[in-house]
Amino acid sequence: MQVIQVEDLWKKFKIPHERRTTILENIAGALQILEGKRFTYEEFWALKAINFNVNHGESIGVIGENGSGKSTLLKVIANILRPDRGKVKASGKIAPILELGVGFHPDLTVRENASVYGSIMGLKNSEVKKRMGSMLGFSGLERFKDAKLKNLSSGMQMRLGFSVAIETNPDVFLIDEALAVGDMEFQQKCMDKFKEFKGEKKTIVLVSHALDLVKEFCEKTLFLSRGEMVAFGNTEDTINEYMRRVRGST
Amino acid sequence: MALVTVDKGNIRILFQYSELVRNLTIKEFKLRYRNSVLGFFWSLLNPLAMMIILTLVFSTLLRSGIEKFPVFLLTALLAWRFFSISTSMSLSSIIGNGPLVTKIYFPRWLLVLSSNLANLIGSSLEFAALFPLLIFLGMKITPLLILLPVILILEFILIIGVSLILAPLNVYYRDFNQIWDITLQIGFFLCPIIYSISLIPERYILAYSLNPMTRVVESVRKILYYNTLPTLADFIIVLLSGLLLLLVGYLIFRRLEPRFAEEI
Repeated sequence: MQVIQVEDLWKKFKIPHERRTTILENIAGALQILEGKRFTYEEFWALKAINFNVNHGESIGVIGENGSGKSTLLKVIANILRPDRGKVKASGKIAPILELGVGFHPDLTVRENASVYGSIMGLKNSEVKKRMGSMLGFSGLERFKDAKLKNLSSGMQMRLGFSVAIETNPDVFLIDEALAVGDMEFQQKCMDKFKEFKGEKKTIVLVSHALDLVKEFCEKTLFLSRGEMVAFGNTEDTINEYMRRVRGST
Repeated sequence: MALVTVDKGNIRILFQYSELVRNLTIKEFKLRYRNSVLGFFWSLLNPLAMMIILTLVFSTLLRSGIEKFPVFLLTALLAWRFFSISTSMSLSSIIGNGPLVTKIYFPRWLLVLSSNLANLIGSSLEFAALFPLLIFLGMKITPLLILLPVILILEFILIIGVSLILAPLNVYYRDFNQIWDITLQIGFFLCPIIYSISLIPERYILAYSLNPMTRVVESVRKILYYNTLPTLADFIIVLLSGLLLLLVGYLIFRRLEPRFAEEI
């Protein structure tokens, strides 16, 4: 069963040479066009013709240099960004764990955030309450349950995000370098958790620069470069291809 | 089109996410009052101060001659404040939740709805808290009072429609709130709040009373001040313009929603 289907996915960003975020600026811009100056922007294709499928229970690694489109790909799968061309289909309950956070509000306390996030993931408040103990337990933040999120360090926010996300029992995890901010002990805890999820046949897409981690976890790997899919398949081969390219360019 | 869940009707979404709407509404409400010690009290102070100032101006300087002017003013003012505060707050309902919008998917219009619901609660409390004062100032309680929730719910539909237009536009054009501020100031004087509708010349009255907020303000005043029944036309005009704005808002929102995460 295919959990994620990506068919000929294209995603572009517009990078204006002058960013206009007010109506006033837009009017001023329109006047400049009348004077013969052109409103210019660059089109930047972050993803080009991406095709791949992820089956139920598979763990997929995504590797590539900075700016190759890895994070954009995860956001499109998570339906946070929409493709310009092509189709993306993902089924089941999806938990994106993106850089620094899973969707928390800085002015809410730890517990309030857990409730809001839980209800986004389809949990009733009573269920969140029941699992609050294990959420806080896993994150090691019991003492801070009534602190506002913005008062926690970035590492603590990540711990919390991860702990809350896993307790909502998603089918698909989209993980973007999230573990990099955690300390050794927490990283180890997360690894153990991932092994558990793999055993439970959860689907995992892992964006990472830690190639060892990818090797250990993912049976298949996708290699992106400048928005294009260079390789997709067996992790060993894909990583070798990546290494070969990196060495070749230096 | 990327669809995480199968595209269900919006009503079904509302049921599916009812717990989220509740949590977001509570969140909005808390955040609004948490950062001030007096909290809710401040929101009462504003209409009270306005009432006192305007009463002084109109009964001593301008001599409007309107009987029980404080009641005349405050009833209309509360109805207007419900609209003006709700719509201005909705402007930031998407941008203000940037950390959520850029990290996880859920139907974005629920943010607008929750902001509006928080204001519905706030305004209802405001009404309730000022009721004793209104009675003290001479307001009569009549059976017409049961119509007050009806007109406020119709006003609420109007508010959701306007908010669904404003909130997405403000994501793309950040000075939209300035424009809306000015619009509200004009609106305040276009509606019969500080003056009686009888001041409007006969030949303008038709155009004047097409404004749904005129109907809302006047209906509330009819119920609480004049103690007369609002006309059927009052209800119908508010309802129809509410539904029309809801449709326009839905279309605008649906068109602008896909790029929210990029524009925030």
